[in-house]
Amino acid sequence: MSAIAPARPWIAHVDIDAFFASVEQARDPGLRGRPVAVGNGVVASCSYEARARGCTPAMRISDARRVCPDLVILDGNCATYAAFAEQVFAECRRYSPQLETFLDEAILDLTGTERLWGHPLHVGEELRGRVRDATGLAVTIGVAANRMAARLATKRAKPDGLGIIEPGREAEHLANLPIEELPGVGHATAARLRALNVTTVAALRCFSEDHLRRLFGVRGDALHERCRGRDSRVIAAREIPASISRETAFHAATPDPEEHRAMLHYLVERAARAARTLGIAPRTIAVKIRYADDCSEEARRTFRQGVAVDARLFDTACELLQRVRTRRVALHLVGVTLSSFVADHAEQLDFTADVRAPRARDLCDGLDRVRGRYGHAAVVAGASIGLLGKLKQDAHGFVLRTPSLTK
Amino acid sequence: MNLERLDDPVAARVDFSGGRATPVLFRRRGRVHRVREVAARWEERRGGARILYFSCLDEAGDLYQLRFDGADFLWRLEFVQISAGAAR
Repeated sequence: MSAIAPARPWIAHVDIDAFFASVEQARDPGLRGRPVAVGNGVVASCSYEARARGCTPAMRISDARRVCPDLVILDGNCATYAAFAEQVFAECRRYSPQLETFLDEAILDLTGTERLWGHPLHVGEELRGRVRDATGLAVTIGVAANRMAARLATKRAKPDGLGIIEPGREAEHLANLPIEELPGVGHATAARLRALNVTTVAALRCFSEDHLRRLFGVRGDALHERCRGRDSRVIAAREIPASISRETAFHAATPDPEEHRAMLHYLVERAARAARTLGIAPRTIAVKIRYADDCSEEARRTFRQGVAVDARLFDTACELLQRVRTRRVALHLVGVTLSSFVADHAEQLDFTADVRAPRARDLCDGLDRVRGRYGHAAVVAGASIGLLGKLKQDAHGFVLRTPSLTK
Repeated sequence: MNLERLDDPVAARVDFSGGRATPVLFRRRGRVHRVREVAARWEERRGGARILYFSCLDEAGDLYQLRFDGADFLWRLEFVQISAGAAR
């Protein structure tokens, strides 16, 4: 009996070009062909017309306006962008259920679909057309045997293109890249490698697995694999985030502690609800602030067990806020990050536990059910009430100045 | 660009062919606007309700954002953007 050969792996990386700006151009044909930037304070996204004039993402809006005086600047709308991204992901799911999604990109596992859909390049071309028809957005697709190579193929084909790195030729494509461009190499790692005279990906191949492990710990294994064009990370259809963060700038920097508390409560509620929806509870909470003079501070606390109750997370967040806010300077931004997730409902009860805790949890679940049915704005509770009258509301909740979309 | 934010109920005539809703014309303040092009459409959720959005250009080239709320089955005009040179 002959063994069945395993299917050749094929991964497609789908990236929405200039996402926020492209959505605005799709919504308003009058913006097409014009330089458009989305952001408040800094450029979150800019169209290719704006890039051609010198604008770049993360640039200050004032600088962007200076290099491109006729730039159209829009505040943006997170809910609309999420809706457009979901349409793109729905088109991707037509070809494979193994889809890992991010804010404006997705990784699609096409392994074993060749007999059904044809060569992955054909799938890529068809998918690009489908996305354009459904949303008006341009996507760039990179196809390769693993996710790292697929991302690289996308990068080379941008914008509005389709690229492939043939299986077996990954190492060759990576060889001359600067070391900073290898996935997993951040600023600190790049600086260490450059100090060792490793400036390209090919140069990193001189190090043995043992040597890299001694230098970088467990990350050394990944570096050893990736510099050779290999990437064994699987595509996870359901993404459990490493962290859930919610942060925003105030509409005007404020020294008012009640306003800080109110905003912090709202952000904790949003982040905690997102975690409960995924069935996970954070063990770590971090609070981040940025003063009006751009100095930032952050503090975190780790619990013994996962905590999914808003009130307890908020109490801890307030303590952290008090700890980090040491200067009498107005706050420009506040944020909360939940991380180190465990499965929700995994808490071991003990005799010293607060007897009100189950009721607090029931209240959270009840509020989640109401908000799940009528939208988050249906109930404003706790310290968030302090935001009423100060911030505008829409169906999704308070309209924040720079709401975070990242997980 | 002259953008006016509204939240006015409107009467809409909709084509359901092809398995999806496409506004064909709508009446606002007694005036009928014929939809020349649906520039973009998307769907959001507010709790359990589906909300459909349509970014439409009328024959004058003005941009209208229509919303169909699945909770109350009402069509609303969210905003209108009068094109340059056609302000009235």
